[in-house]
Amino acid sequence: MKVTLEKVNTPEEEGAVIKAAEVNEGIRNAVDLLENNCRRILVSELSEERSSGETVMLGTDQIYYTESIDKKTFIYTKEKCYGTKLRLYELEETLNANFFRCSKSLIVNIRKIRSVRSELNGRMIAELLNGEQLVISRNYVKDLKRKLGV
Amino acid sequence: MITKLKLIFNQTLMISSAILFGLGIQELIEYLVTGEMYFTWEWYVPLSIILCACVCSVPSVIFIDDESAGKAFVLKVVIHFVCIFAAVSLFAKLFGWFSTLAGYLVIAVMIVIIYAFTWIATRWLAKSDENKINTALDEIRDEE
Repeated sequence: MKVTLEKVNTPEEEGAVIKAAEVNEGIRNAVDLLENNCRRILVSELSEERSSGETVMLGTDQIYYTESIDKKTFIYTKEKCYGTKLRLYELEETLNANFFRCSKSLIVNIRKIRSVRSELNGRMIAELLNGEQLVISRNYVKDLKRKLGV
Repeated sequence: MITKLKLIFNQTLMISSAILFGLGIQELIEYLVTGEMYFTWEWYVPLSIILCACVCSVPSVIFIDDESAGKAFVLKVVIHFVCIFAAVSLFAKLFGWFSTLAGYLVIAVMIVIIYAFTWIATRWLAKSDENKINTALDEIRDEE
């Protein structure tokens, strides 16, 4: 696709026009990214017994972490839990650079980590902004450091 | 499998360096006390150090993982230390790294010091990483 960039003087003048023969997933993702500064994915709201509920679009910036349990993928926001048909590795490809895999079954949003604490066995405990704690496996600590440039 | 082999290789390098460091300190002390400027090794001693280091790396692969925590982890560290202590003592005896009881005691003390130093250094590095990561997170964290 041909992309033309035009410089404007004020933020109010900023805008984008996308000319597309067909509104496919790529175009929708681009629109989401421009409108919401994040991608949006289709998820199902889950009740306490984790049965499928209402299907909604969820901005990736709201995601705290995602978890794979028994080949099912769950997405956690500040207070809610959602299910998705995507496998964890597929979700990993969809999510942006703010996310990183902290163990075999978990992907966490780095921007939602309040702090990390190292343990004697080499792993780290990440405390999220909502108070939840996740384990960062020893093998993945290097990835976190690389992502953060430390 | 490759990860475990890499761990054994890295541990072998580290432990053999630690043993050489210990022997170096031992010889330095001997020089300072007796003024003796030369010491000789049997042909097999350097190889025995590497072999000992390789054997000592096996308990690390078996016992040190990041799944255990709390008391289970402490228990594994104790077993790990006992295995390493026994392995080094056995190799020291088999390959004649010492000739007197005092010589063995020096080796025993060195094992304890090097083991403790390794954990202290590991902990210090982990704390340093923790501080760096927390500082980096401060700059990108979302407001809630």
